[in-house]
Amino acid sequence: MGFGLGPGDKIPNNPVAWAKDQMNTVPDLIWDGDIPTEKHLMDQYAKWVTTDRRVLRDQYKGDREGYERAKDALRNQVGERYYENLELCIRHNTALKSGAPCFERLWFFWCNHFAIIDKDFLAEFSTGSYHRNIIRPCMTGRFVDMVKAVTTSWAMIHNLDNSESIGPNSQRGMRRRQQGRIVSVNENHARELMELHTVSPSAGYTQDDVVALSYIMAGWEHPWSKNREECNPVKFNPKKHEPGVHTVLGTPYKQKGISSKNKLMDVINDLSEHPSTREFIAFKLCRHFITDHPTDAMTAPIIKAWEESDGNLPAIHKALIDVVYEYTDKEMKFQNPEVWFLQSVNLTNANWPPQAEDMVYDFKSKPNYLKRRPEYVMREIGHLPYRPIQPNGFSDLERDWISPELLIRRLAIPQEMSSYIRGQIDFDEIIQKNCNAPIEYRIKVKGMKNRLKKLQYFFPSYWMLKA
Amino acid sequence: MINRRDFIAGSMTLTMLGSPLFSARAEMLKKKNLVVVLLRGGMDGLTAVPSLDHDLSSYRPDIFVDNSLRLNSDFGLNPQLKHFHSAWKEGKASVVHATNIPYTMRSHFEGQDLMESGGKTPFAESTGWLGRGINSSNLDGLAISLPMPLLLRSPISVDNFYPTRMGAPSPDMLQLVSQTYPSGSLLESTMQRVMARPISMMSSNSSRDAKDLARTASRMLAKEDGPRVAVFDLDGFDTHASQGNGNGEHSDKLAEFDEILGRLRQGLGNAFDDTLVVTLTEFGRKIEQNGGNGTEHGYGTAVLLAGGLLKSAQIYSDWPGLKPKNRYEKQDLMATLDARSIYCSAMAMCFETDFEKLRREVFWNEPLEDLQDQLFRS
Repeated sequence: MGFGLGPGDKIPNNPVAWAKDQMNTVPDLIWDGDIPTEKHLMDQYAKWVTTDRRVLRDQYKGDREGYERAKDALRNQVGERYYENLELCIRHNTALKSGAPCFERLWFFWCNHFAIIDKDFLAEFSTGSYHRNIIRPCMTGRFVDMVKAVTTSWAMIHNLDNSESIGPNSQRGMRRRQQGRIVSVNENHARELMELHTVSPSAGYTQDDVVALSYIMAGWEHPWSKNREECNPVKFNPKKHEPGVHTVLGTPYKQKGISSKNKLMDVINDLSEHPSTREFIAFKLCRHFITDHPTDAMTAPIIKAWEESDGNLPAIHKALIDVVYEYTDKEMKFQNPEVWFLQSVNLTNANWPPQAEDMVYDFKSKPNYLKRRPEYVMREIGHLPYRPIQPNGFSDLERDWISPELLIRRLAIPQEMSSYIRGQIDFDEIIQKNCNAPIEYRIKVKGMKNRLKKLQYFFPSYWMLKA
Repeated sequence: MINRRDFIAGSMTLTMLGSPLFSARAEMLKKKNLVVVLLRGGMDGLTAVPSLDHDLSSYRPDIFVDNSLRLNSDFGLNPQLKHFHSAWKEGKASVVHATNIPYTMRSHFEGQDLMESGGKTPFAESTGWLGRGINSSNLDGLAISLPMPLLLRSPISVDNFYPTRMGAPSPDMLQLVSQTYPSGSLLESTMQRVMARPISMMSSNSSRDAKDLARTASRMLAKEDGPRVAVFDLDGFDTHASQGNGNGEHSDKLAEFDEILGRLRQGLGNAFDDTLVVTLTEFGRKIEQNGGNGTEHGYGTAVLLAGGLLKSAQIYSDWPGLKPKNRYEKQDLMATLDARSIYCSAMAMCFETDFEKLRREVFWNEPLEDLQDQLFRS
């Protein structure tokens, strides 16, 4: 449930206690350089979109080439090709060096559970910061508070278009209707809040429930402004909120004055406490960490911990750790490309990711080869963590990660990685410590002459792909 | 006729040319290509092929495509669909309108799952209709993407291609790694395919731009011994906001599809006459625009078809009309035809497999209509 044991690492005496100890506090991010704030990144996003839309398009009307040149210069000025790489460095450095690898794996899990899809420029400027600032601090609290933070975050509101919603009977809606304009709510965010983030379709909600929740959510928006487009912090806009009582999954939610303390938080409380939510998330946790086909016996202790702790995430995580440990020798889980890559790095003490001094950027020229490496490598292995295509995030299923082309990438990466590895590696020690590969396999590795061959033979082997 | 010995000898060479699982049956058939283009996000049939009904412009005052090309007295074509339009003029493009897969719940994740699985219950199937059709017909397919789409998954493994610049290890090393995979596992069968690839497909410097991929794919499809099925994956059709009209964002997405069509046609050359290109999306969009100059998830949409295997340039539709009483739930364009009838017919024609067999084996014996006589040349 971590990233494997590196050359210097010892097997913990009590692995379960060691893992559980990591669940109580949020480890610091490990990065020697400046970590950009959410506000700074939103400023850069704003500068990128407004300069492009409001300045360059006017300035270079009819001059396609001039426009492309100016846009490319702007790209550098705002770090459009830089921040995603920086975020990947911070993510990977922290995962490998925070001293709490099990916590970090769970961080990856929750970032993927509340996935932000590859849309507009979120991957370039926002998703990494959302993972750091919204998901991570919530991991030692209650699930319900994570849902509230995520649901009202700029990244998620932007991602699922809730700012588009205008209640038909809201102040804004009435005015628009008087003007003969069409007024409606956007159902995306409400649907995903139920389908993917909390209760899942097994709760049996209907289209009416989705519409009711969209009404309840109407008003939560990132306000637009001329100077910053959509890059303004999320606010509750009472003028767009649909008043009245709306019923979701059989519960009527009453209006308690039109304010941000209104019905949405009540609904999230109930959705988070719904039995389908804990079943769904316990199932997803087991599917992510243990097997493609979790059983009731696996999920039951996690559901129980959820009930007993009232959705306290450390308690849930600790229950998961017990189950994962119980099935260590019984189940082999296919590792997704990013986790597999980081395990390969960790096992060989490879110099990854680029460090703070490598990432110092002048915001003038195109980021150099080394600075762009994180994005390149993740793209090549088919797993850019800030760019899932669908809001249900990256798959946890083996069959979704095995295809000729994806396998070629796993076969080819050792050559790329061998340039990050310094010094001698005792392959036999690593294999023995981390995998239950048969002795014949170890002998064969020993017999290989050069290091690249050993890497090519070891990383894409069954023992590394499945752990 | 090729005898067994020749076939084996021949298939070795052919393997080198890029068709790892070349089957005996494929050798016997005249090669007809089926290219499926996934339009993810909900393609708006009324932006691609707008009805010329005056009502439409009143339902969509800000996003109506007012500069459409005329297809017939009732329908126009989005001006971005240029290659589609030239094929239309030659009788090599058709539209099936007011159709969709039988799914009305308006969720992308369920809808995209169903458009690919071909089923009715979301997330119930782990294989796709095209994968099962290929399997039932004993043929091979190719996905032009890094992840394998559900659409092409089947009990047998199917190929995918997306060039990498990283260097792959030697064939000997692949053999060694392969020996660590349990026999009969998906890893093992996938490795077999990798090992059968020509070096040029292991890693290369070719571009991964959609247009260039279309060119690469069309060259492979054009070969007598190449794959017969290709799948392209396009996303971004989910235009809730600022959808725009004939020059807007939804139209830009259609232009991307059209560019792929153009490249395919160019690369296929004469083989375009033995090819069918067909689109697939999870649902159409609501008839009326929303408050943000976009459209919400709907139901009925249009399926675009191109290639020389079509019978004629036609709009095949039992058109339901746009008025609220004619709509699905008073909001969406009604689908008057189960789009799976088109896909089942397309496979029956391209794979020369009995429609009824495919209906049974691929679509669980559901009541689909054989449209081969209506849509395709005999």
